[in-house]
Amino acid sequence: MTTPISSFLVVSALLFSIGTIGVLVRRNALVIFMSVELQLNAVNLALVAFSRLHGNLNGQVLAFFSMVVAAAEVVVGLAIIVTVYRRRQSASVDDFTVLRG
Amino acid sequence: MAVDQILFWVFAPISVGSAIAMILQRNAVHAALFLVVNFFTIAVFYLVLGASFLFAVQIIVYAGAIMVLFLFVIMLLGVDQDESLLERLRGQRVIAVTLGVGIALELIVAIRAGVGFATKGAENFDTVANKGGNAVALSRVLFRQYFFPFEVTSVLLIVASIAVVVLASKKRRAITRADATAAAAAEREAA
Amino acid sequence: MLDAIWLIPLLPLAGAAVNLFLGRRLGRAAGWLAAGLVAAAFVVAVGALFDLLSLPADQRAHVVNAFDWISVGSFSVNVAFLADPLSMTMTLVVTGVGALIHVYAIGYMDRDPRFGTFFSYMNLFVFFMLMLVLADNYLLLYLGWEGVGLCSYLLIGFWYERPSASSAAKKAFVTTRIGDAAMLLGIVLIWVNLGSLDFGAVFGRAAGELTQGAATAVSLLLLAGAVGKSAQLPLHVWLPDAMEGPTPVSALIHAATMVTAGVYLVVRSHVLFELSGTALTVVLVIGLVSALYAALASIGQFDLKRALAYSTMSQIGFMFFAAGMRLYTGAMLLLVCHAFYKALLFLTAGNVLHGLHDEQDMRRMGGLRAEMPLSTAWFAIGSLSLAGIPPLAGFFAKDQIVSFAATSDRGLAWVLASFGAFLSALYIARPLFLTFFGRRRNEEHAHEAPALMQAPLAVLAFLAVFAGLVLGLTAEGGRLAGFLEPALGRAEFGEGALSDGVLMMVSIVLAVGAVAIAFWVWASGRVDWEAFPQRQPELAGWLSNAFYLNQLYAWLVQHPGKGFGRALTVVDDRVIDGAVNEVAEDVGDASHLAPRIQRGYVRSYALGFLLGAALLLLFLGLRA
Repeated sequence: MTTPISSFLVVSALLFSIGTIGVLVRRNALVIFMSVELQLNAVNLALVAFSRLHGNLNGQVLAFFSMVVAAAEVVVGLAIIVTVYRRRQSASVDDFTVLRG
Repeated sequence: MAVDQILFWVFAPISVGSAIAMILQRNAVHAALFLVVNFFTIAVFYLVLGASFLFAVQIIVYAGAIMVLFLFVIMLLGVDQDESLLERLRGQRVIAVTLGVGIALELIVAIRAGVGFATKGAENFDTVANKGGNAVALSRVLFRQYFFPFEVTSVLLIVASIAVVVLASKKRRAITRADATAAAAAEREAA
Repeated sequence: MLDAIWLIPLLPLAGAAVNLFLGRRLGRAAGWLAAGLVAAAFVVAVGALFDLLSLPADQRAHVVNAFDWISVGSFSVNVAFLADPLSMTMTLVVTGVGALIHVYAIGYMDRDPRFGTFFSYMNLFVFFMLMLVLADNYLLLYLGWEGVGLCSYLLIGFWYERPSASSAAKKAFVTTRIGDAAMLLGIVLIWVNLGSLDFGAVFGRAAGELTQGAATAVSLLLLAGAVGKSAQLPLHVWLPDAMEGPTPVSALIHAATMVTAGVYLVVRSHVLFELSGTALTVVLVIGLVSALYAALASIGQFDLKRALAYSTMSQIGFMFFAAGMRLYTGAMLLLVCHAFYKALLFLTAGNVLHGLHDEQDMRRMGGLRAEMPLSTAWFAIGSLSLAGIPPLAGFFAKDQIVSFAATSDRGLAWVLASFGAFLSALYIARPLFLTFFGRRRNEEHAHEAPALMQAPLAVLAFLAVFAGLVLGLTAEGGRLAGFLEPALGRAEFGEGALSDGVLMMVSIVLAVGAVAIAFWVWASGRVDWEAFPQRQPELAGWLSNAFYLNQLYAWLVQHPGKGFGRALTVVDDRVIDGAVNEVAEDVGDASHLAPRIQRGYVRSYALGFLLGAALLLLFLGLRA
C-alpha cells in the first residue's frame, strides 16, 4: 500500500470533528445519536489504520469489539428515545429540561 | 498511481462530504441516508487497509442493521419533520463550530507529531499479519488472545436485548413514583 | 497597736461588706454598725498614735507590710502601710470626723428605702480613703484614690432616679478621671526614673537620681490628679454639681476628706515638688487663683449647698497656696480645722434642709433662728471659725498662712491672700445671715433636728472652737507643726516688712469687717439685695454662673464631641454597614449568575464536556 497511514488518520480526525459539531448543533435526538455513531466510526477507522501501521491485528480486533458494543448501544439508546418520546411527544432535545438547576 | 491511492482519493472526499451533508440535513431521514453513504466509504477504507473481514461486517452490521434500525425508529415515531433553523442557545453554534475545527486541528497536529505524514504501513502486513487471509488471521487472534472479551461481548448483547424488551414494552411496572401515582389514578378511573 | 494599723482600713471594709449583703435585714442597725466600725477604727488610730509618740522623733515612720501584692520581673509592690505623723493626722481626721458624720447620717437618712446600701457605700469610702492616706507606696495610694472616686460617684448619684443626680455623678467621675490619668502617668514616670514606688525609696533616691526636668514632669502630673480630686481650677466643675448627693455625703466627701486628698498628695510628695524649680510655683498660683475665683462664685450662689461647695474649693485653694509656699504644716493645720468647721457647716445645712423639707434656695429662707436656735448656733460657730475670727480655730490656720506670705517676701501674694481671706469671711457670713437672720421669707414651719443629729454637731462645734488653740497657737505652727515636723520639715519663717503683730491685726480687721458688711447687706434689711439681680443682671449673672466656666467647658467638649460622634456614625453607616451590605449584595448577585450555567439544555452540557475534553487534549498534546 502506498498511501501514507496519516491520510487515513486525517480523514478519521475530520470525521470525528464533524460528528462533534453534529452532536452540539442538532436538536433532533435521533440525529444527535447518528452523529455519535459517526464519531464511533471515525475512531474505528483510526484503529484499523493503526493496526496497519504496527503490523498486527490488535487494532482490528478492538475495532471489531467496538462495533459490537456500538450495536448494543444503539439498540438500547433507541429504546430509550422511544420511551421518552412516548411520554413527551417530542424528540427535540431542547424540550427535556428536567435537569434544570 | 497505485490502486489504493486512487481508491483513497476518490472515497475520502465522498466520506467527508457525506458526513458534512449528514449534519446539515433538516430532514432526519435524509441525514440517515447520508450516514449510510458515509458508512460505505468507511467500509472501502477498511478494505484498502487490509481488513477485509471488517469491510464485510461494517456493511452488514452498521449499514445493514444499525441504520435500518434508525430508519425504523424515525419512521415509527414520525420525527422526520424538518427541524427548525432557529437556535435558542446563544452562541452554541459558533462555539460548536470553533470547537470542532479546533479539535480537528489539534488532532492533525498530533498526527503529524506522532506518526508523521510520510509513514507508510508495515511492509509485510499482507504476508505476516494477514497470513492465511484476514478472516483466518483475525479468528486466530480473536479466539485465542481475546477469547474472554469475546464471551463477555456476547453476554453484553444478551443484556442489551433484554433491556430493550423491558424498556419498550407498553405495560410496565411503574419505574418512578410519578408513574405509580399516574397508574393508580388511571386504574381507579377505569374501575 | 502600731503593728495593727492594717485594722484601721479593714474595719470599715468589713462594715461595707456586711451592709451590702445584710443591710436590708439590719434596718437601722446598719447605720449603727457602720458608725461603730468607723469609731473603732478611730480608736485603733488613737492607739497607734500613742505608740508612735513613744518613739523618738526621728524614727516616727513605721512601715507595716501586710502582704506581697505584685511581683513581676523587676517591678514589685506590696500592700504596706506607713504610720508617720502625716498619715496619722489624716487618719485621725478621716475616722474621727467620719464617725461623727456617720452618726448624723443615721438620723438624716432615716426613712430612705436604701438605708443599708447608703452606709455600705459610706464605709467603703472610708476604707478607700484610709488606704489612700495609710499607703506606703504610690500604687496603693492610687488604689485608694480611684476607690474614693468610685464611692464619690456612687454616693453623689445615690438618688439615681433623679437625672440631675446621675449626671452630676458622671460629671464628677469623668472630670476627676482626667486628673487621674495624668497622675497615673506621673506614677509610671516615678517608677521609670527611680525604680520603685515605695515612699521611702522614692524620696530617698530622688535627690540623687531625679533630674530637674523629670521632677517637674512628675510633679505636674501628680498635681493634675490633685487638682481634679480637690476641685481646683481647671478641673473644679464637678464640685458644685456634686451637691446633688445627700448632705452627709457632701459633708464627708466633699468637705472634710476626699477633696483634701489632693492636698495630702502634694504634701506627701513635697520632696519631688521641691526638686523641681517650677512645680511649687504652679501649685501656689493654682491655689491662689482657685481661692479667689471660688470666693467670688460663692457670693453669687443662692443655693445653700452650692455656696458651701464653692467655699470648700476656696479653702482648699488656700491649702494649695500654703503648700506652694512650702508651708506644709500650715496647709495641714488648715486642712484639719477646715474638716471640723466645714463638716459642721454642711451638717447644719442638712438640719435646715431637714427642717424645711428639702428647700435649698436661700431666697426662700431667712429668720430661722427663732425656730432653729441650735442650728443657728452651730452655723454661727462654723461660719465665724471659717471667717477667721479669733480665738476660733480658723483664725489660727488662716492667719498663719497669710502672714507667712508676707514674711517670706511675696508682697503681691500677701495682698491677694488677704483679699481672699476677706472674701472668705464675706462669703461664709452671707449664708449665715441669709438663712437664719433677716426677714422670714418662707411660710413653712421649720422644726429643729432630733437629738441624734445634734449630738455630732456639738462635738464638731467644740472642735471648731478649740482646735486652733490646741493645735496651732504659735506663729510657727504650734503643736501640730511640731508633730508633723519629722515628716514635713520646718518651714522657713523669714522677716518681712511688717511685724507679726501688725499682720495679725490686719487679718482680724479684715475678718471682722467682712462679717459686719455681710450683716449689713443681708441681715439688717437696709440693703435691697433681692433686687440686685434685676438692677445689675450682667454682674449677677457672672457671679451666680461662676463666670460661665461650666458653659465654656460644655461648649469646648460638646462641640468636638458631637462632631466626632456624627463622623463616627457616618463611618458606621456608610463604611462599615456599607461594606457588609456590599458583600451581601455581591453574594446575591453571584447567586443570580450561578444558575445560568444549568438551564437544563443537554446540548449546553455537552458543549461543556467537549470543551473540557478539548482543553485536556491540548494540555496533553503540549506536554508531549
